[in-house]
Amino acid sequence: MLASVRQNLQGNQACALGAIAAGCRFYAGYPITPSSEIAEKMAVELPKVGGTFIQMEDEIASMAAIIGASMGGVKAMTATSGPGFSLKQENLGYGAMAEVPCVVIDVMRGGPSTGMPTRPAQGDIMQSRWGTHGDHPIIVLAPSSVKEAYDQTIRAFNLSERLRTPVVVLLDEVIGHLVETIEIPHIDTIERAERKWATEARETYLPYGETDDGIPAMARPGDGYRSHTTGLTHGPSGFPTQKPAEVNDMMQRLLGKIDRHRDIVDDVETVGCDDAEVLVVTVGITARAARRAVRQARDAGIKAGLFRPVTLWPFPENQFRAVEARVHSVLVPEMNAGQLCLEVERLSARRTKIARINRIDGEAIEPAHILSTIEELGRHG
Amino acid sequence: MPIAPPWSQPVRRRPTVMAEGAKIPMTAAIEIRLSGSGGQGLQLSASVLAEALLREGKRVAQSQSYEPTSRGGISRSDLVISEDEVDYPLVTRINYLVILDDVAARASNALIKPGATVLCDESRVTQAPSGDFHVRMLPFAEKARAVGLERVANMVALGTLAGLSGICPRATLEAVVRDETPAKFLDLNLEALAAGFKLAEAPVSE
Repeated sequence: MLASVRQNLQGNQACALGAIAAGCRFYAGYPITPSSEIAEKMAVELPKVGGTFIQMEDEIASMAAIIGASMGGVKAMTATSGPGFSLKQENLGYGAMAEVPCVVIDVMRGGPSTGMPTRPAQGDIMQSRWGTHGDHPIIVLAPSSVKEAYDQTIRAFNLSERLRTPVVVLLDEVIGHLVETIEIPHIDTIERAERKWATEARETYLPYGETDDGIPAMARPGDGYRSHTTGLTHGPSGFPTQKPAEVNDMMQRLLGKIDRHRDIVDDVETVGCDDAEVLVVTVGITARAARRAVRQARDAGIKAGLFRPVTLWPFPENQFRAVEARVHSVLVPEMNAGQLCLEVERLSARRTKIARINRIDGEAIEPAHILSTIEELGRHG
Repeated sequence: MPIAPPWSQPVRRRPTVMAEGAKIPMTAAIEIRLSGSGGQGLQLSASVLAEALLREGKRVAQSQSYEPTSRGGISRSDLVISEDEVDYPLVTRINYLVILDDVAARASNALIKPGATVLCDESRVTQAPSGDFHVRMLPFAEKARAVGLERVANMVALGTLAGLSGICPRATLEAVVRDETPAKFLDLNLEALAAGFKLAEAPVSE
């Protein structure tokens, strides 16, 4: 019997259990509120499955450690919050450039700087996309429930391994610390993706060569392939190059590889989008508030809809444009001074009215606040 | 020579399945807040209640708020209880509010639903909220001292809350306390819970 188990589980713990279900066998981290329960849970659970847990000396070293572990062939993860996420950015960029699969969980708290450790925020929406320097590929998944924290952490590993890229799971403090009754599926029903390992002739192996799907096969340590890994711009051999044509080829493949696989990357939840006139776009706990507000608005006869990018980056442009074309107003509630709304504004037609709700006082945005704004937009539409 | 970027080339694109949220749960939820000062065991009593409700087949969402100190400061743990999946997991209209310390006395005023039940510790809460709801001043801390330790006032309050509201059978709560609290405190916790249920039976004096 592959029965699921119903239990009360915390969002952070769900990330840890999801990681282990996905095959994660290495965790390095430096505890930071409000993400520490992820490290705690991994410390308890990893040894049971023969995995390794290391509490590193700092955030930078933790990021370096998971990249190293992953290059050694093990699925690896770390978790942090804003201040630590800032510190990880340099090595996160290295992971993107060297195409090393790894998963980073960022549980957002009040910022900037050390901000408010125990209070929620959604201030890392742009940092999760553009935190490290230079053009780089990245995937960011944004769960809005404990169940989704579990599922999306598994998905993060699968995308990371398939596409050889760091994947960020972006939670806010509310979802990280929220306990919900969920069904954990039987471990044998979990779909796990494995990395593409080099199997071709050693003589012709190119660690960063062009392939049909844009994803080069990785050389498993000990298999005897010649491989070179660097954060410097490299050619197919992995060795540094500054030849414009080689640089261009490499960068185009690197930046294009996520787009080539949008069929497995994109994920959105929509509610009432078929006939919506007022559309709410948001993520995380704010999306839970929005879902209630949309339901209440529809009960009151206002054609409201919710568009929730479960895959936040790359933003699901096509799906959004298709829905946006039919609405007259878009509302973007978020627990920051205005970040997700920038992407929404970029993608919206000129005629569409864009409204914002921004809350930066360490409290969640309430459904009633969203509802009253939907009502206002509905009246003036 | 210009080089065509890979992403400009045609790509097989499967349309993303847009899951229409066909059924949005509509069940009326019960909202509970346990509040007081950090270190009073509010998170523990909330998790005991959440686990007991799980065993009763309910669905819960439990959230918390605390300050970056392990003792003192305002602390609260909230539960939203539903038969179905909880749509919005945070409290917005509290049905049952427990206040164990003055620091939390007024903090929840805006969220108390008309007709709600508010249970305050009579020795540690001097500024109980007043309004369109029922306030009861009860000797949680005193009863806890009577069973041996003031720290189990959280369990006394939990017993009274469960007794008055009928949200969770006593046997289930006791079973969870047996399974999930430290053996060293087991008898103390069970006695505190019993004292709480007894308080719930006492005649109302508002």
